[in-house]
Order: sequence, then structure tokens, then C-alpha cells
Amino acid sequence: MIVNLVRAEVVRLAARRFVGGMLALLLGALVITFATTVASSHAPSQVELDQARVSMQEERARIVQTRQECREAQAKPIGGWPGVDCERQFDPDRVRVENFLDGVFVFAGSIRSLVLFLTAFLALFGFLVGASFVGAELASGGMTNLLLWRPQRLTVLGTKLGVLLAAVLALSVVVTAGYLGVFRLLAEVGGTAGDTGGTFWPDLLWLSVRGILLAVGATALGFVLATVGRHTAAALGALAAYAVVWELGGRIVAEMIRVSRPSLLFLGTYLAAWLDGDIRLHDTRCGFADPCVSFYTITWVESGAVMFVALAAALVATFALFRRRDLT
Amino acid sequence: MTTAVIEIENLRKTFRAWHRPERVALDGFDMRVERGQVHGFLGPNGSGKTTTLRTLLGLVRPDGGRMSILGAQAPRELPAVAPRFGAIVESPQFYGNFTGRRTLRLLATAGGVPPGRVEEVLTQVGLRDRGDQRVKAYSLGMKQRLAVASALLKKPELLILDEPANGLDPAGIREMRDLMRTLREAGVTVLLSSHILAEIEQICDSVTIISRGRRVLAGPVAQVLSRFDSGRFRVRAGDLAAAAAVLTEAGQRVETQPDHLVVSGVADGALIAETLGRREVWVTELTPLAPDLESVFLTLTGTTPTPDRPLQVDDSVRPGAPPGSVDLGPTGSEVPA
Repeated sequence: MIVNLVRAEVVRLAARRFVGGMLALLLGALVITFATTVASSHAPSQVELDQARVSMQEERARIVQTRQECREAQAKPIGGWPGVDCERQFDPDRVRVENFLDGVFVFAGSIRSLVLFLTAFLALFGFLVGASFVGAELASGGMTNLLLWRPQRLTVLGTKLGVLLAAVLALSVVVTAGYLGVFRLLAEVGGTAGDTGGTFWPDLLWLSVRGILLAVGATALGFVLATVGRHTAAALGALAAYAVVWELGGRIVAEMIRVSRPSLLFLGTYLAAWLDGDIRLHDTRCGFADPCVSFYTITWVESGAVMFVALAAALVATFALFRRRDLT
Repeated sequence: MTTAVIEIENLRKTFRAWHRPERVALDGFDMRVERGQVHGFLGPNGSGKTTTLRTLLGLVRPDGGRMSILGAQAPRELPAVAPRFGAIVESPQFYGNFTGRRTLRLLATAGGVPPGRVEEVLTQVGLRDRGDQRVKAYSLGMKQRLAVASALLKKPELLILDEPANGLDPAGIREMRDLMRTLREAGVTVLLSSHILAEIEQICDSVTIISRGRRVLAGPVAQVLSRFDSGRFRVRAGDLAAAAAVLTEAGQRVETQPDHLVVSGVADGALIAETLGRREVWVTELTPLAPDLESVFLTLTGTTPTPDRPLQVDDSVRPGAPPGSVDLGPTGSEVPA
């Protein structure tokens, strides 16, 4: 019988005009992104490549000199350049020839930002579709009708969520694969691949996976907020309220009253760490001029754990609430 | 011997919210619906009808009491009997951008009902040719028909309908009445909540009347009406004023209307004619007035409109705590509630 319910939810999701509209907007945004990139890129000529190599060598020489100054300053008893990692910050190998090619799409240099852009779109899509899928049902009374047919609240809500997450996951995988593919193709015909050696592909793949997981998480969040608020708009309102009141207002207040490591209190920090791989933050317990100057790092593992626990707790609370709620 | 398909005992529900005062919706309510009957469920606005139905169907959590539906305890065992009953509660609620046909197909899919049944019920409720129209373009009456169609999809042995005639045009009301009769003939038990008392009186075998969360009266329609048959007669006479004076003098209760008198508390109408004849006041009409369900309902719930003060929603009668209500039993004999 659960198969029937799953089938009905799949049809319901696919038939919703809002989903179709959002999908069209998502694909439209991605097409515009691609078209803009195509329009602003060209395959580099041999002359451009030669000039870029010369510029690269000059820049590398300058960085080597700066690194030396950094090392010497830190070797002194009362050293300058406090808190600076000379080797990491002044690495000449990071300067690539493609850095000096103007108007050329460099796959290795741009794809990371483009994936983050895609992630933002997928997350927004998932959040809105997730909120609307259950919010419209609750507001219109469709959920009540369904429960008259299947008086099993947790099964009905769980099936709806499961179908939704599976659909967003599948869509995200397909769209991400296609997105990476077309930009890689563009690099071949109208740009350059850049340095794709070493850990480039595993890193890119892992970034894409994190982006997809974030989109799925945003979908679940939209679903949760709309279920609690019984309306699609409730999810949007809650998100806006959180962003303004806590992420913005709370951050300002936390800094004013000098809370220790205030960034740890905000989900935005963990979101950034999840997408970046890790995030390095200044420890506000020390002033910049103090000897105890230090930084701390939040990794994707820690941020993933925080966000997962927060989302899991929200899901459990939502299902518990829905199980007991009066549907009037 | 009849068997109850719905039994509700001492059902209690209070709605509580931090931002508004608590409201007692059901206060020890009882109801019993026998198999094969069309049972009317009556009550003023806000009396607890919809809350009762929602609670019975597992949409609202009761604070106390016992409910069973088709022999299964509600709400715990509802999933086991859900394929055997259909229900609509309050206003029909569907997703507006789906067509009527798609709405029913989705429900059929979710409930494992053969797709062919969708066409059958669309035809049955008169929506066959409008099935491909979006629900948001439906009139209230068409939505009501769609709701009834959704309840019929499962070929239920019990149908629970909350205000099914709401928004229907006169033809639709008649069709709904015919549909109820057809269903009863097919052995389907129907619990019907409605404000159209004339319809209830025509369609239903038995009724339960609720006021402010408590049962006021329950039993077969005929028994309920006869209980309120207080020997009322309409009297017309050549000299109406003289007739009123004679009957009042003879100790009768007389209400004077513009063109007739209503005399009540009279066991035999011949007594009126005889009393007036003796004083040479000649009767031109003497008609016994049978009580209708509307007058019984208004009397029992205390919601008869008065010209001096508009009636408020919660102005209905609050019956005494059980066993203050009256249960006439399935055959009309009064039994303790």
C-alpha cells in the first residue's frame, strides 16, 4: 500500500505548476549563466598565451621575494608579519598562466565559483519547492483529504517528505552533472581547462556533492518550516526572520557585547564552512595587537555535523508536532 | 436487531491556545448510528458538529471519551477500517490547480482504488463532463459534488458527510437527496450533518441533535417529531376575535395570527368545533398542525429567532450534564443517555 502512496505523491509533485515554474526558473538561470560565460570568453591565441607566461614569471619572482621578506621578519626576536603563514600565503606555484589571460574562461579557475552559484540556486529551488509541496497541501486542505483516506499521519507526512527529497536529490545530481559537463565543454571549445591535475577532480566532485547535500537539506528545511507554520509563506517568513533577527541583528549584538567566538552561534558560519571545506576565523578573545593573537578553524565535518543535528532535531520535532496536532 | 456502526460516548474536547481563551467544543457528547440508516446530525453553528466528525475521523485529538467506527476504536484503529468508509468534512478542500478528474485519480492511486472507479463516481455526482476543468474554476456546488465523489470512490459501507448540500442549487439538492436514498437502498450507512432541516426530515431515518457540545436529543425522526406533537390546531372562523375569546374562556391556549388562530394542548380537534358551535361561532377550517423538524430543532436548541435581539452564535441552549439529554433509542423508546 505504501507504494500506492509513493506513486500518488510522485504524480502530485510532478503535476504541481509551482514545481514546473520553479524548474523553468532554475534552468533559465543556469542557461543565462552559461550564455553569459560563453559570451565573455574566447579561446586564447598563441600571442596571448606567450604574454601571459611572461606576466606569470614576473609575478612569481615578486612573490618569491615577498616570501623571503616574510621569513626574515618572523625569524627576528620581535618579529613582524604576526600570524601570517609565509609558505602558504606566498606560494609562487599558485600563480598560473591562466591568471593572466583576459576574457578567457578558465575551467579550473572558475568552476568552483560556478558550482557555488549552482548550489545557491539548487538550495533556493529545494527550499521553495519543499515549503510549497506541503504548505499548499496544508493550506488548501489537501492534507486533510489525504488523511481521511490514509489515517496514518506519520506515514503520509514521511512519504511526502521522502518523495520530495528523492526528487530534489535526483534533479540536483542530473543538473550538477550536466552543469559541469557543459562548462568543461566550453573550456575545450571557447576557453581553457587550466590546471586540472592533482586533487582538482576529487575536490570538485566533493564540492559538488556537498552542494547537492545542501540543496537536499534546504528542501527538508523548507518542508519543516511550512509544516510547522501550515503554509508556504510561513517558511519564507521564518527564513527571512531568522536571517534578519539572528544572522544580522544577533551578530551585531554578539559583537557589541564581545561574546567569545560569536561566529559559532550562527548557522551562516557553518554554511560557509560546509561550502568552503573549512573556514578560518579570528578568535575575538584576542585583539590583533595582543600576543595571544590566534585563529580557529571550522571544518566541513564540524559544520556538517552541526547542520545535520539541527536539521534532524527540527525534523523529529516537526513529525512529533504533526502527529499530535489538531487539523481544524 | 440493528448494529451500531458509529458509537461515541462521553466525548470531550477543549481547544486551547495561548493567544485566545479556551473553548469547550465537546462536553461529554454521545452518539450512536445504526447500520443501514441515514442518520441526521443537527446542531446550531458552533455547536460541535464538525469537531465531532473531525475527532471521529482522527483529525482532532479528543481530551476524553470513547469512539468506535465500524467496530474499530478511533482513532487508534482507523487505518484498519479506512478502506470501508468515506468522508467529507466541512467545506470541500482541494488543490485548485488540479482538475477534478486528476484530484480523484490521485486519491484513487493513494488508496489503491481501480482508476475506472473515478469515471463511475464522476458520473454519479454529475461531474463527468466537467472533470477536466480545474477545481479552482468550480462553483461551490461543484466542489461539493467533487467532495462527495471522493468519499464515494472507495464504495464505502459507511459515508460521513458534513454539509454535503452546502452551495448546491435546488436541482443539486434534489440529486443529493436521491443519492442518499440510493445509497441507503444499497445498504450504505450515511451520517449526514446538515442545516437544511427539511432535507434531513425527508432523507433521514434518525437524528442526533447537539447543542454547545452536548447531545440534546437522539432517536428516529418520527419519534422525535411525535414527542413534540402537542395537539396544535389551526383554526379559521367567521368571527376570529369571537372565536379567540370563546376558546380562551374555555381554557384553551390560543395564539392569534392575522387570519387564523393556533390552538394548542388540545387532545381532540372535535372539542374545538363543539366549544365554538355551542356559542354559535362557526368554524371554517380546523387543521391539525404536525410539528416539523425545524420547529423541534429551534425549540430544543433555543435558537428560535426573536425580533427584539439578534441571536448570537453561542446563544443556543446548553443541555444539562448527561444524563440530561434524551435518547429515544433505535426504536423510539426512551432510554437513559
